[in-house]
This record gives sequence, C-alpha cells and structure tokens, in this order.
Amino acid sequence: MRIDGAAIAGIGMVRFGSHRDRSTSELARDAGLAALHDAGITLADVDEAFVGYIQPAAMIGIKAMKELGLTGLPVTHIENASATGLVAFREAAWAVASGRAEVAMAIAFDKMTDMARGSANSRGTGRDQLDSTILPAAYFALWAQRRMHDHGTKPEHFAAIAAKNWNHGALNPFSHRQPDHTVTVEEVLASRMVSSPLTAMMACPADDGAACVIVASTEWVKRHQPDRRLVRPIASALQSEAYSPGHTFLGPVVGPATMTATTARLAYEDAGLGPDDMHLALCHDAFANEELEYYELLGFCGEGEGEKLLEAGDTALGGRIPFNTDGGLIARGHPGGPTGLAMVHEIVVQLRGEAGARQVEGARRGLAHLVGGGSVCTVNLFESE
Amino acid sequence: MPRVAIEDGYFTIPDDPGEAPRLLGSRCPACGEHFFPRRMVCAKCLHEGCDDVLLGPTGRLYTWTFVHVPLFAKKDGSVDAYGVGQVDLPEGPRIQAILVGGPDDFEIGMELMLDLETLRTNSRGDDVVIYRFRPPTTNVSERPRPVAGPERSQTLGGQP
Repeated sequence: MRIDGAAIAGIGMVRFGSHRDRSTSELARDAGLAALHDAGITLADVDEAFVGYIQPAAMIGIKAMKELGLTGLPVTHIENASATGLVAFREAAWAVASGRAEVAMAIAFDKMTDMARGSANSRGTGRDQLDSTILPAAYFALWAQRRMHDHGTKPEHFAAIAAKNWNHGALNPFSHRQPDHTVTVEEVLASRMVSSPLTAMMACPADDGAACVIVASTEWVKRHQPDRRLVRPIASALQSEAYSPGHTFLGPVVGPATMTATTARLAYEDAGLGPDDMHLALCHDAFANEELEYYELLGFCGEGEGEKLLEAGDTALGGRIPFNTDGGLIARGHPGGPTGLAMVHEIVVQLRGEAGARQVEGARRGLAHLVGGGSVCTVNLFESE
Repeated sequence: MPRVAIEDGYFTIPDDPGEAPRLLGSRCPACGEHFFPRRMVCAKCLHEGCDDVLLGPTGRLYTWTFVHVPLFAKKDGSVDAYGVGQVDLPEGPRIQAILVGGPDDFEIGMELMLDLETLRTNSRGDDVVIYRFRPPTTNVSERPRPVAGPERSQTLGGQP
C-alpha cells in the first residue's frame, strides 16, 4: 500500500543484548521515552499505539504501555513473528495516513534469551511437538546447502556477508556486537559449526531489547520539527505465503523464496520506484546466507548474481547499495518483536544524515525487509526530503 | 515392544518392523494436488473435502544439513548432532524431517526411504516413534546414533 501524508516524528531504542535483570516493561518504557523525547512530546500527544512482541503472554503489551502513562489511548497488540516490529510500524503509519490518528506509536519489546532458555523444557504438544524437533538454524542451512548446489556458492560467501555485518556493527553504538578488531572471513569460518555450512558467527545472537517509532502527519512533523530533515514512509507491502508445488507445510520452514520477491514488487509498484532508487537496504539476516538470497529477491541483481554483487563490495558501506548498515540481525541483534523498529531507527538516522561513521553518503531512500516464521514477509520503503 | 506414534494422524506404524511406514496425506479430488499433513481444504484450488491417501515411502533429497548443536542448547545427552533434510515425494509434497546418517552421508538428489525412529519409552513401556528418512542401504536394526559434534553451542539465535 502507498503511504501518503505520514512522516517519522520520533525514534528510540534500547541497545539489544542480554538484559537479564530488566523486565520487558522497563525495556519498553525506556525505548518509548526515548522516542517521545526525540519527537518532543509526551504520551498525551499520542492518539493510538500498536504494541508488538513475540513472547506469548496475553496483554503484556498494554501493561508495558502503562509504564509510559495512562491516557486512555487505543492500544492494539501485534504479533507476526520476526516481522512483528515492521508490521506494528505499518499499522501506525496507516493509522496516520488514513486520517484516523494525527500521532501514532509503534512500540515493540522481547526477551529472546528467556525464550531460548524456556524452549529447552517446553517443546509443546501435538503438532507443535513435531514442529519443534528441529533447530531453527537448520531451516536456513537447508536453504544455504541448496544454493551451494544450484549456484556453486562457497561458505566463504556466507562468511563474507557475516564479516561485513559484524564490521558494520562496530560503527553503530546501538549494535549488540561491536567487535574491537576487523572481523575476517577466516575468523567467521573458524567459529563453531552450528548447522552445515552455517557457523556460529554467521548467526544472529539471542537478544533482549525494545524499540519505538512515532509516526505523525507530515503537517504535524513539519510544524513541530521545522529544522529537521523530514523522513517519510512511502510504501508498505505485507504478504503471506502463496501456494506453490513442493510447499512444506509441517515444521517452521523458511517459506517460499518467491514471497520476498512478490512483496518487494508490490512495495516498489506502490511507491512508483525500483531497486535502483534505493540508497541502503536492511533485510532479515538471521543467518548470513539469507542476505545473499535477498540481494536477488529484492531486485538488486539477477538470480545467481548475488555473489558478484557481494564480491564487488557493492553491499558494504561505501558500496553501491549498502546492506544492513547498522550490523543487521547478525551484529545489531534480533530480539524478535523490536527488530523491525530497530531497522526503521537505522533508516531514519541514515536519511536524517546523522549516522556518523557509518553514514551512507547522500542517502535519501531506504528499504526495510523482514520475514516472519517463514510465513509472512513485509517490505517498507522510506524517503527523505 | 509395542510402538506408538509421538502424535497420531501423521504416519502409519506397520505391524512388521521390517516394513516401511507411510505418511498420512491428502489428495484433492478436484485438482489432484497431494498434501502432507492431512487437510480438509485444498491449498491450491480451495476445494473443500480432500481424500485420505498414503504417501511415500520413498523420496529424493532436495536439500540437507547436519546440525551440530542440540535444540536451543537443550540438555539432552542422547542427541548431540543430527541430519535434517527436505525430501521430495513422488506425489509432490516436500517433507522436512530428521535424516539417519552422519555428516558425510548425504547428497542432493539421492533416494531416501521413510523409517521410524524410537525417541523414548513411555510409562506403559511402549516405544514412542517419529518418522525419519534414511538411505535405502542402511540396515534398519543396526542404525548408528548420529555422531557427536565437536562442541555444544550456548548461543544460537534465529527466530525463523
């Protein structure tokens, strides 16, 4: 869908990592306050909120919202697996674009470290028991193995993407992983094998965190923030799986690759733009091989040409289309719900021209992509004036 | 010892342990598409009322991996590493399952056979079984346990 008349009013996040001694409500409060401060408002100015999280506890979203104040505003809970944050953002942007709200908040939080610990003892029952017998890393490794078979891709390619994202993370104060040295392909390959060909350094960490984005009407933002460069969401597409032969139903799978291609095409069409118009992209790199696939599925090169794009340095900072400039899921981190809002955070910082050492020169348009549970995909496009 | 399924409704358990199990699938009478597991509404043409059919027991390996860490750093001493694959059945469905064998035993395109693996014994003394795939040459009664990986992982994120 095309989004007209909405702009980013404020952003805030808690650096992702292990926050064992802090509740999700506290994390959400701090991210929410950071975004409200960035927008120069309080919760009294917010007309509607969308709260996202994966952790399955009923109503913890509204409990977290109460930490920011009790104003009576409408609150809706959103869960779309790893895509949760971007989908909460999409709803906030649409609430503003539709005219229903002048100021809307998307806020998300999760403690993935709790989930990682908990899953050791609770593998579910019935069909869930069958679904959960396999480690998530395996699903992405299955995709990587098939690519190696089809395109001659080497583990070194996956390692190069991981190293790039670790090194991007070193330039981002909000990144979980901030290596004190330049991470090399050799170092990534030498890390512990998780699921062949994927090693531990090719995988995102388990994170806790929170992030918040406040969207307001373009007029509101121009009126309240006259001296700041305006950043607008211009299109948001969301798709679930379309059936194709060979579909795998049982087990949380990666999902058909065509889902990302279809979703991206819809977003580009809605915006009247194409991949060549983008200056940076953030994608779901829970595992490094995904990013290679998304170079192609998001339209930045043809099928089987991702390795060439990577080898040319086009997707690193300083390249033609830098990917995951904030470190991506691999370095910046991946708590679940907040991940998509951290992506919006990075795109806004870049398009405002405030990204410091990792600033993409002249960045005016950016793309944020997430898949969730192998079953949904969202692509969101942003533009600055 | 009697064998019972980890969950009813997904696969057969033949009385003869030497006989291969079958998967419980569906076939759409309107468009002919096959599915696993069973479903009522056809995912392709949306016809309501698919027929029950048996699928397998053979298939071809579409892709595979070998997992060197237990589930989310799970403390289960019996399984340190295991193969995982997606197997294309001749009828069409692609099945994701554990594979029997070591890290060097798999090749894309190889033929595999459906098989049952005992996970544990329940309180009544029954063997609780789940479906897996194995190379056809593997001796069913003398399958090796998957070999141990080099180390266990303590991190390991990745919400799919």
